[in-house]
Amino acid sequence: MTAEPTRGPRRLTRAPRAAQGVGVSVARPDGTLKVTGEFAYASDMWHEDMLWGHTLRSPHAHARVLSIDIAAALAVPGVYAVLTHDDLPTSQTRYGLECLDTPVLADGVVRHHGEPVALVAADHPETARRAAARIAVDYEPLPVVHDEATALADDAPVLHPHRDDHHAPHVRHPNIVHRQPVRRGDPDAAAARADVIVTGTYTVGMQDQAFLGPESGLAVPAEDGGVDLYVATQWLHSDLRQIAPVLGLPEDKVRMTLSGVGGAFGGREDLSMQIHGCLLALRTGKPVKMVYDRFQSFFGHVHRHPATLWYEHGATREGLLTHMRCRIVLDGGAYASSSPAVVGNAASLSAGPYVVDHVDIEALALYTNNPPCGAMRGFGAVQACFAYESQMDKLAAELGLDPVEFRRRNAMSQGSRLPTGQVVDAPAPVAELLRRVKALPLPPERQWETAGAAPDVRALPGGLSNTTHGEGVVRGVGYAVGIKNVGFSEGFDDYSTARVRLEVAGGEPVATVHTAAAEVGQGGVTVQAQIVRTELGVQQVTIQPADTRVGSAGSTSASRQTYMTGGAVRHTCEAIRERVLALGRARFGGTHPAWEHAELLLEDGKVVTEAGEVLAALADVLDGQAIDIEQEFRHRPTQPFDRMTGQGFGHVQYSFAAHRAVVEVDTELGLVKVVELACAQDVGKAVNPQAVAGQIQGGTVQGLGLAVMEEILVGPDAKVRNPSFTDYLIPTILDTPTLPVDILELADHHAPYGLRGAGEAPTLSSTPAVVSAIRAATGRALTRVPVRPEHITDTP
Amino acid sequence: MREFAYQRAGDVAGAVAAFAAAPGARYLGGGTNLVDLMKSGVESPERLIDVRGLGLDAVEEDADGGLRIGATVTNSDLAAHPGVRRRYPALAQAVLAGASGQLRNAATVGGNLLQRVRCGYFTDVTLPCNRRVPGSGCPAVDGEHHNHAVLGWSEHCVAVHPSDLGVALAAFDAVVSYETGAGPGELAYAALYPPVGDTPHRETSLPPGALITAVSLPAAPVAARSRYRKVRERASYAFATASVAAALEVRDGVVHDVRLAFGAVASRPWRAHAAERALTGAPATARAFGAAADAELAAARPLPHNGYKVPLLRNLMVSVLTELAEEAAR
Ligand SMILES: Cc1cc2nc3c(=O)[nH]c(=O)nc-3n(C[C@H](O)[C@H](O)[C@H](O)COP(=O)(O)OP(=O)(O)OC[C@H]3O[C@@H](n4cnc5c(N)ncnc54)[C@H](O)[C@@H]3O)c2cc1C
Ligand code: SF4
Repeated sequence: MTAEPTRGPRRLTRAPRAAQGVGVSVARPDGTLKVTGEFAYASDMWHEDMLWGHTLRSPHAHARVLSIDIAAALAVPGVYAVLTHDDLPTSQTRYGLECLDTPVLADGVVRHHGEPVALVAADHPETARRAAARIAVDYEPLPVVHDEATALADDAPVLHPHRDDHHAPHVRHPNIVHRQPVRRGDPDAAAARADVIVTGTYTVGMQDQAFLGPESGLAVPAEDGGVDLYVATQWLHSDLRQIAPVLGLPEDKVRMTLSGVGGAFGGREDLSMQIHGCLLALRTGKPVKMVYDRFQSFFGHVHRHPATLWYEHGATREGLLTHMRCRIVLDGGAYASSSPAVVGNAASLSAGPYVVDHVDIEALALYTNNPPCGAMRGFGAVQACFAYESQMDKLAAELGLDPVEFRRRNAMSQGSRLPTGQVVDAPAPVAELLRRVKALPLPPERQWETAGAAPDVRALPGGLSNTTHGEGVVRGVGYAVGIKNVGFSEGFDDYSTARVRLEVAGGEPVATVHTAAAEVGQGGVTVQAQIVRTELGVQQVTIQPADTRVGSAGSTSASRQTYMTGGAVRHTCEAIRERVLALGRARFGGTHPAWEHAELLLEDGKVVTEAGEVLAALADVLDGQAIDIEQEFRHRPTQPFDRMTGQGFGHVQYSFAAHRAVVEVDTELGLVKVVELACAQDVGKAVNPQAVAGQIQGGTVQGLGLAVMEEILVGPDAKVRNPSFTDYLIPTILDTPTLPVDILELADHHAPYGLRGAGEAPTLSSTPAVVSAIRAATGRALTRVPVRPEHITDTP
Repeated sequence: MREFAYQRAGDVAGAVAAFAAAPGARYLGGGTNLVDLMKSGVESPERLIDVRGLGLDAVEEDADGGLRIGATVTNSDLAAHPGVRRRYPALAQAVLAGASGQLRNAATVGGNLLQRVRCGYFTDVTLPCNRRVPGSGCPAVDGEHHNHAVLGWSEHCVAVHPSDLGVALAAFDAVVSYETGAGPGELAYAALYPPVGDTPHRETSLPPGALITAVSLPAAPVAARSRYRKVRERASYAFATASVAAALEVRDGVVHDVRLAFGAVASRPWRAHAAERALTGAPATARAFGAAADAELAAARPLPHNGYKVPLLRNLMVSVLTELAEEAAR
């Protein structure tokens, strides 16, 4: 496999015209089904004779497993298998996205609350659950490591004493997963030139992806000794790479198919039930289904890294940044997951979308006994954005400047250099995005007032709780802007594969697309069909189920799938077009000079010239033949960051969004009503404008959740306090404000159609914008998210 | 979850007899709390006796202005009842401020009053908790107690009673009727939950096996002008961080009658007697309301991480009373 970037498409003088093609808000095929409850999610799968799997999890955050007695569980009628670490088929008993540090089942030690210890398969889910409860595990609790002080103490228990990952030799304490400094310029000298210096320490709580469809899958043993796994995931091939070795099977004996995914947001990038289900299926010889309930789900996936961020910024009286220093400590929890990449992101994006020539940056992730943290929408950039945007407000206030004006003076633009030394070589309309959200009309004051009638309490803090009718309510407005990388970074060989087949059926040209891209609700399948319609001029496009019979599509994460799999589909379509034109030339070349000389397009089932003259029908060109091509698509290569200086062309693309938040705060009760959260984002090209708006609104609300309510509470005993949707609060529709969206389309010429990954950027700036607005209303410093009533009323 | 027997009782006497015959039985109302606790292992009853078919599902209006609410009236029906809305608006508002539409359709009045605390240690059976396992300790005192008590707690348990409905009942002097094998009985709602002391596991003063049959509210003209306000961390579908039920009657600018109760601040809905005493006969001004709140909250003992509840409650009470007073003046 080569890592050569895919050559750019041959530029056509005009884009092909296609109904329901690129740039149109084509309706998504799963939309109606989901809204009416008919969509089949992974948890709906059924197989004759199937068994149900259940996971026994650790009640302790750190303990030695002295013994496991499964006899009583095995004796339960209806139980087919009980598995522990001792039953694993090969000597490879650990897996992981980057570091193989996660035991399939606890091997002598549990390192976090909820860690899988044993598995049961039974003929009924309740039987499996009860049997699991009869497994007698003897634990000896161990001291818990739960924050930086306890993790890095000289006598701290080392959570992974036998590390052999490639970060291990470079960290000063074995409980540090990875550390990335970024150094550029001369911050000390620059600090001496600063007229004002502000510092702050910011804290971000542990956010959950809170996807609605819990972890689910069905593993079916096959006659060849392999297994077929149907599962809701984000990246089939990465799962496969981790599953096969611990099953002791070659990869071609583990066949994976994506089943209905109910949201992901990063939480399905790590494995959950995949290996467990396969182990049980292979052991029992029967299909095994596993569906987590909500409680299990809270323990079944990684969360967003909680973080403590210390920042120092300096600026001149003219409002120009002189330097920045920061230290970002991310809590990675018990296993590495994607912590190293999150560290890379946090470090390289810690300065935000601003020009700062002199920086001293350090980001690191810890191993603790807290729940493992990994990928979540925004991936390291969310935490940093809350901190640097809080700093920007503080600096602006210190300088007596309008916060948007201050940001504008320091905003990066195309050609700016990042702290990593990378030059931004595509549009970076940071100032323009801020200008746009600022220019929007403000929502009317005192919106709750209605002519003569009782106030509309929905527009007030406290909402239907009816806590105020406007007394003590103060409005605040806040701004923020953020920068997110798109795609996999730091030298990763990031590619996607698409297979496209063009043929004639019933006299009509039809196309079939086959990729392994996980549709997690973002609209990927819709976009793939749009691209085929545009590129091949066919109306009828079938998207085959995503599975591992085709090459990897990479992850549905890092805002990359429209860029990468969209790019792969387009790239393959181009190869098909060339083939069609070659066939056409061979068949009809003599009939019209355009065949040889002009640029030809496929439109509306025909080969046409640029001017629209029809040369032949596709059906006639193909003449019963099918064209079937599978191709890989790569973005241009990136480089790892230098271990000491953090310098390097680390990211392939950047994406920018800005928010303006308008809040009403009941300053007496500490309640916040976000009345409007406007977003302007540059998406390069809105391939499906409605889907883009949906991404922006969804990301914005997720950021709102982090700002004011979402937090997994973990005590000093490293145990989770609120593993339920009753106690982990996510915004309801009543908490959701008006969400105006302004979509900018400044093409990035490195990317297909000029598009920019769009899914994550809106999650970044939403949180600091809301907090900034609350600060404006209350005058409080508010250095921690989520903001709670007591922070607003400043009581302990 | 353990195996359990399920049985539908045909009448009150049958339900009580079935309970007496089966040690480890539980009455089942809507099941919205009990079944959750069975799943997490906090409850493991041998037998569930479903009490929804006992004919206790009516709200009766007394001629003198009181109400008698059957124990299995659903929360939704209670809030929608015209007599409730007219005579005790705060009661209807309190019910509607709780849980979600779906839950209120299932939840019963009896179950609401006997719902268990929402303390995270209580529901995690692997941890100590005096309320669940007497004498095992209370990790919340030094742990996560952001939403725990500021009034009336003991070091043995600092959890709060989660009911919204109960706060309004406390304000309006409700009386709980019950049935046991030995016959019917009555208990003032204020006495339903004994002080925590060193016996937090004793959650009610009802005799063993008692089936709640009804909750009665004596006539209270003052309740016609009443309000329930609840502070919570999102706009719906969340428990209170503090709440106030208040009723106010003002004559010539002077407080003639006032009822006040607080929610989510103590192991039971907290009737604010001290504030009521301070206010009766006082001018109906924000200043007097504040002084009355201070009188009540003088007894508050916040924990290290829930001090915010004290000013929150004060502000909440002043603002509710001010609004009621303004309405009265109109
Ligand atoms: C997600 C969620 C959010 C919630 N939010 C709120 C909220 O904001 N405010 C609020 O007030 N409540 C809230 N609740 C709690 C809800 O109000 C209670 O679960 C409900 O009222 C209990 O009623 P039930 O009939 O379902 O009781 P059950 O679950 O059936 O029973 C609860 C207890 O009462 C006993 N019991 C039931 N009926 C009788 C009887 N007649 N006599 C004697 N004992 C009896 C049972 O044995 C059991 O111990 C919430 C619940 C959930 C799940
Ligand atoms: S506060 Fe009460 S319920 Fe919570 S742990 Fe302590 S004793 Fe148990």
